[in-house]
Amino acid sequence: MFALVVMALLLAGLAGVFWGTADLTWDDRFKALFRLPDAKPALQLIVWEWRLPRVLMVALVGAALTLAGLLMQALLRNPLADPYLLGLSSGASAAAAAAIIWLPGVFVSVIGLPVLAFGGAMLAFLVALGLSFSPGRNLDRLMLILSGTAVSLFFQSITAFFLHIAEPHVTQQALQWLMGSAAGTKWPDLLPLAVTLPLLAIVAFLCAPMLDAVLLGDERATALGVPVGLLRIGFFSAAALLTGLAVAAAGIVSFVGLIVPHLARLLIGATHRWLIPLALLIGAIVLVLVDLLCRTVLAPQELPLGVLLALFAAPPFIIILRRMRRGV
Amino acid sequence: MASEPILRVSGISLRKGRAILLEDISFTLERGRFYGLLGPNGAGKSSLLKILYRAETANAGKVELDGRPVHAWGRRVYAAKVGALVQEKVSLSGMSLLEVVELGLLPLALPSREVRERANDALRMIDLAHRAGEDAAHLSGGEQQRLFFAQLLALDPDIYLLDEPNNHLDLHFQYKLLDIVKRRQRTVLASFHDIGLAVRYCDEVMLLDGGRLVGQGEMARVLDRRSLAKTYRVAGTFEAGRLEISGPI
Repeated sequence: MFALVVMALLLAGLAGVFWGTADLTWDDRFKALFRLPDAKPALQLIVWEWRLPRVLMVALVGAALTLAGLLMQALLRNPLADPYLLGLSSGASAAAAAAIIWLPGVFVSVIGLPVLAFGGAMLAFLVALGLSFSPGRNLDRLMLILSGTAVSLFFQSITAFFLHIAEPHVTQQALQWLMGSAAGTKWPDLLPLAVTLPLLAIVAFLCAPMLDAVLLGDERATALGVPVGLLRIGFFSAAALLTGLAVAAAGIVSFVGLIVPHLARLLIGATHRWLIPLALLIGAIVLVLVDLLCRTVLAPQELPLGVLLALFAAPPFIIILRRMRRGV
Repeated sequence: MASEPILRVSGISLRKGRAILLEDISFTLERGRFYGLLGPNGAGKSSLLKILYRAETANAGKVELDGRPVHAWGRRVYAAKVGALVQEKVSLSGMSLLEVVELGLLPLALPSREVRERANDALRMIDLAHRAGEDAAHLSGGEQQRLFFAQLLALDPDIYLLDEPNNHLDLHFQYKLLDIVKRRQRTVLASFHDIGLAVRYCDEVMLLDGGRLVGQGEMARVLDRRSLAKTYRVAGTFEAGRLEISGPI
């Protein structure tokens, strides 16, 4: 199964890199990909400066959001939890909208919109965490969900307010950023996720049995020697970090973090040792393919990632919900 | 066997907001004895057990295992010595019965082959070995309880903390599983609602009422006409291992 999924990821990656270069032979393509001396310089430029970083970025974003969603679902024992549950997306949106609309362009371009959005996401997370925290007691799952929802609503209305008072063309620009796209990714942009994701994935993999134990209930996990409170705070922070970096890289990409973990669970079960690697791979595949569609469906126009994802993700989500209701 | 203390509880209190769940509880468990924890609903039985398996922290007092305070033990080492059967509702899905039982061995760092052997043995004890690979989502309440019992049987800790072990179990398994535990001659602290069943297993009982320890010792001594009336609010007698109840008070 894993071999198959890895193959699928490679194929998806190849498609992502080469789609739209139809008049070329595979020979030329591979020469460009491996930078052989007799490769066509123009193609090599396209592959190496445009396509490859973009494909790698969406793969990283897909995997990061999937891991974040998976951790949230496991630790909250809530199938509807997703990476944005703790207000991260609305925090990032508010920060980005405020920056685009209010701050002088020079300021934004020096600091960078991604950094500002990341800051907004982290702020929202800390507020949500702070609201649900009471000293000397473990985090209450319901409190966390409620305060995440409250924080989300708060930042959503701030974003709406900003968009409302801004000039139409500025609003357009902000909306475009919010709906997500990996177009124009440069190699250095990959660095934060390329470092963080593998590290946190390995940590999560090593903690897999403890995550399994949490599925049996907090008290049972505690009786089995699992430091449930610590595990929760640690992995919520990890999920927030991954989500913040993903949002900074590609805007708000919804649904991946909610759907892909369920899809992977249906395929391989809830035991995290297998679930984590499989879900990461599927998350990467899904986003690489959706990004490819964004680029090609209305070519040369680009569609935002968020729009297509929601279109494609809604039907499987409904199917999963129905299956869960029937207890299959 | 000479009496050897294994777990000592001194002056434990637990408060939640204004509610006093436990107040000034002290007792000592001796190695290899079976203790029953009795008392009406809300007497504090589960709260006391939670403190002992570290899901709650007492506001006052201390608990010592083998002479060392609880917090000085690493969580995992402690969990390997003190195992618990917990009352907590969850919906299991996506895990096989075998995987759930194997999780019970989490506190021990065993090679995977031994984990599998022990888990399979435990599954045989609860008569679910033939369904080892099935998804645990399909289990009934009683079967789920058996599965969590199997986790504990696979772990085989020094101290068994059983919170209403007979919950959801049919008659056969009520006797079968507790018989297995009894035969292992470990230290057991189990809460019971069924006095008849408690008689069969307990060397000694502790009676809780309103968060206080109101009696400890042999059952016949602890459960006299007066304490039955006061704590359980029934008119009855407990003689020669039999409870006769004429009605509520």
